[in-house]
This record gives sequence, C-alpha cells and structure tokens, in this order.
Amino acid sequence: MNTGFMIITNNPLVKEKLGEDYHVEYEELSYEDTLKKVQKMIFQGYKLLTHPLSGSVKPNETPYKSVMLSESPEGLDAQAMQIIASAIQACGKFQFKSDLYKPQVYADFQLVDYTLISSALPSAESWR
Amino acid sequence: MKLEVGHIFINDIQFASESKIENGVLYVDEEAVKAIVLEDEKIKGVKFDIAKPGESVRITPVKDVIEPRVKVEGRGGVFPGVIAKVDTVGSGKTYALKGMAVVTAGKIVGFQEGIIDMSGPGAEYTPFSKLNNLVVVCEPVDGIKQHEYEKAVRLAGFRVAVYLGELARELTPDETKTYETYGIMEGKEKFPNLPRVAYVQMLQSQGLLHDTYVYGVDAKRTLSTIMNPTEVMDGAIVSGNCVSACDKNPTYVHENNPVVHDLFEEHGKTINFVCQILTNENVYLADKMRSSDWTAKMCRLLDLDAVIVSQEGFGNPDTDLIMNCKKIEAEGVKTVIITDEYAGRDGKSQSLADADPAADAVVTGGNANQVIVLPKMDKVIGTEEFVTIIAGGNEHSHREDGTIEVEIQAITGATNETGFGYLSAR
Repeated sequence: MNTGFMIITNNPLVKEKLGEDYHVEYEELSYEDTLKKVQKMIFQGYKLLTHPLSGSVKPNETPYKSVMLSESPEGLDAQAMQIIASAIQACGKFQFKSDLYKPQVYADFQLVDYTLISSALPSAESWR
Repeated sequence: MKLEVGHIFINDIQFASESKIENGVLYVDEEAVKAIVLEDEKIKGVKFDIAKPGESVRITPVKDVIEPRVKVEGRGGVFPGVIAKVDTVGSGKTYALKGMAVVTAGKIVGFQEGIIDMSGPGAEYTPFSKLNNLVVVCEPVDGIKQHEYEKAVRLAGFRVAVYLGELARELTPDETKTYETYGIMEGKEKFPNLPRVAYVQMLQSQGLLHDTYVYGVDAKRTLSTIMNPTEVMDGAIVSGNCVSACDKNPTYVHENNPVVHDLFEEHGKTINFVCQILTNENVYLADKMRSSDWTAKMCRLLDLDAVIVSQEGFGNPDTDLIMNCKKIEAEGVKTVIITDEYAGRDGKSQSLADADPAADAVVTGGNANQVIVLPKMDKVIGTEEFVTIIAGGNEHSHREDGTIEVEIQAITGATNETGFGYLSAR
C-alpha cells in the first residue's frame, strides 16, 4: 500500500471508508489539534497535498478534518507553512459550536469531510 | 457572438388549472409541475408554494434559485448538457421571465442551506426577496444518499424552470437587450484604443455537494477555459453545490451574473470586453497550481490589459483567488478581485485566509460573520428545524420570542462574490 500519500484525519468515516485502500492516520483529536498535527508534520518536511480549509465549511463549525500529506518527508515548503498557519489562525474567528449538534448533523459533517478528501484522490493517484 | 435577451415581466404567480402567462401573471398548473418533479424516481413527494415580496414568509433551507428562460432562436437550448442537448449556446434570441424564480428547498445536508425572508430586515440582505418565488420542496425516497438527493433536487429545479420558460416562447418581450462580443482580431480592429478586459470566474468545485457544472461537465475535472460571456445567459453554468448560502452562486446568479452585465455596459465605451475565463477551486493543491497557471497563461495569450476575478466560497478558494491574482499580475495584466469576508462577529479579524501585495484592488461582498436578528414570520416554507445548524446559526438561534439570531452567512446571497446583492458602503 505505497501510494505516495497519506491522509491525516479525525473523521471516523474516512478511516472506515478509505482505511483499507489507503494509508489513513486516524486519531481522535479536535479540528484545531488535527491542523496542529498536520502543521508539525509540515515542519518535519511532509508535503501538504490538499488545502486544509476545504469546502467552505468553517473551522469550528465542523468537528472533522482530513488533510492529505506525502507519505514521507520531501523537504520544507514555505507556502505550505503559510497555508497551514492561516488555517489554524482561522479557527479563532468562528464561534465554537462543533459540540452542539444533533447526531444526524455529525453524520452530515463526516460525510462532507469524506467527500471533500475523496475529491482529491483522483488527482493524488495520478500525481504521486 | 450576439445574443438578444427578451425580458418578460412577471408581476404575480398564481396556481390555476392551466399553465400560462397572461398580462404579466404566471399561472401554474400544480399537477403539471408536480408530474415533472416526480419524473425522477428518487423523489417521493413534492410540495409547491408561492412566496411574494413583502409577505411574512420565510423560505428555508434553500438549495438553488433559478430564473426560467427559453431559447427561441439560435443554437441549443437552455441548460445545455444538463436539460437541453449539448450545443453551443449564447447566440440568437432568448426570453427570460423577469421578476420571478424557481426556488428549490429541502434538507440535503443539514447545515449548508440558506434562508430567504420575503419581508423584514432579512429581506434586505437577499435579492431573492424581491422576486415572486415558486418554491419546490422535494421529499426524497427513503435511504437515498445525500449526493443523489442533491442531484435529484438540482435537476428537478431545472426541469420546472424549463417548463415555465417554455410558456413564454410565443410571447412578445416587454423589453429586449442585446449583448455582443467579437473575435480576437475583430475586437482589436473595432476598438483599437480600448483596454482589453476579461472576466475570470472561479467556480466552486471541491467534490460531491460542492460542484458546479459547465455544459454538464463537473468543473473540477476541467482545465481553465474560455467562453463567450453570453453563454452564461443561456444557462451554460449551473450550480450543484451546498456550500454556505451567503457566498455560493445559485444558478440565477450565473444566468444574471452582474460582472458580465456591468462589463457589457462598458463594452465598446470604456473597455473591450474580450471574453469570460472559467477556472475551478479544487481541494488538491497541485490542481490549484495548474488551474491558476492556465488562467494566467490565457490572460497573456489573449493580450489582456485587465481582468476582474470573482471567487465562490471561503477559505480554501481564498488560496485560488490569491494564486490567480499573483500569477495574472505577474503577466503584466491588472487585476481587481471580488471576495467576501469572514472577519469575525466584531469585524476585527483577518478577512481572508490568504493574502498578497499583488491583491491591491479588492472589492468585498461584506462580512459574512455579521449578526442579524430575523423576526418571527407568519409562514415558513420548508422547515426551520435546521436554522440552528446551518452555517451562521447556533443553538441560541431560536429565541424565546420566536425571533432568530444568525450570522448573515445563513442568508442566501447575502455576501455574494459577484456583487449580486445589496450590501454597500455607499
């Protein structure tokens, strides 16, 4: 299963749907902590492959986030550092309400995050 | 390419035993439109309702807004590649039903649909409050996946709009407007001293429930491309997305894109409106690089002097917007970008998720985090069940006195990034 990329996620649906075919690193973290985990890996030289603010779903409105990175470090990238820093900064300007929804809404948020990261798969598979 | 658009003004909509347009009134046979919606086996039931300007009515959750049109002369049909067969549109003659819209409503993804208030303070934030709206509330069959439901509702709205547009085929328009663009050399010869300007439109294309279709093609699988701006007036671009209500472009906005219309106003006077360039907003970073490279390359190839770039959505597309701006400017082509802001409820936070010194001419559609209190309405078409969970709402949205407190991002079209709205600093 060496695809050249991996998915960092806190979304159980992504783990369930993509975990068998792809390298998925699932960890039960908050949205912001998931971005911080990605940031740490970017500092270690992993290449950022998908935009961390996806789908016009605002930070803190959804609890779920999946981000695609290269499977191994490929060197430091200033633009990626800037993108992830802005994404983490954006978390601060939205009212936190990810813990206020009914169960069906969590399922919807999981689905949207899953569809967003899935939309990157054809590109990733042709590139990596 | 030359297109005449005939406007047929609709002042009222009424249910009747026969569908027709007479003296500015659209009569709708409810059974006929019902049958059109139920052609799709994924839709179990449908309800129609009419919402008029000034009424104490709230429509929510809104998915799409569509203006009925009919092609009466020239190639192709309205919504090519989606409803009509694939053929190049944008020339000949088209009639549009002005002053009304088909609004599709219903829960697809709980948190990403919008509100249209027909009166009160909320109505001031959405241009669709000024229209007579035929609202289509679809109920899906059990066990359907959200993206299948989205597609079913999307297509049902277009089918109803095309049916209503057909009613105008034999009518005489109340007014007619003509739009014409020229070939590259022809335009240069015609307007040798006018600056060459194009419109770069960024289309939402981030995956299922976040897509836009161009002649039926999912925009995320496209390279940046060129089209005649009149093509959008025949429905060449349609909305298929469920992103934030305030800054997504419903199909109505594509059909009536104000950037296109304003550039046509100046065409031949102060500028030469050369063409429209379409580009996408994908999730994958290399796709963003490629699409913005192509956009900039085309701006250079077309020897443009300036472009207007409009964005759709927030966050991730900010990166596409800035990439487009930087790369186009680097080709020596001036840019003006149109965006909206998520500057926090107090308006003090950084507005965009990306920025660059090249972006020195920016037009904003407003701050989507701005808070508004919407009064209780006598009637709700759809359901208010989701107001607490749509983007811009929260668990305190429903207040004891029946009012709703939301951010304006919950209102359909409130901070539209083509300028199709009322927010202004004037």
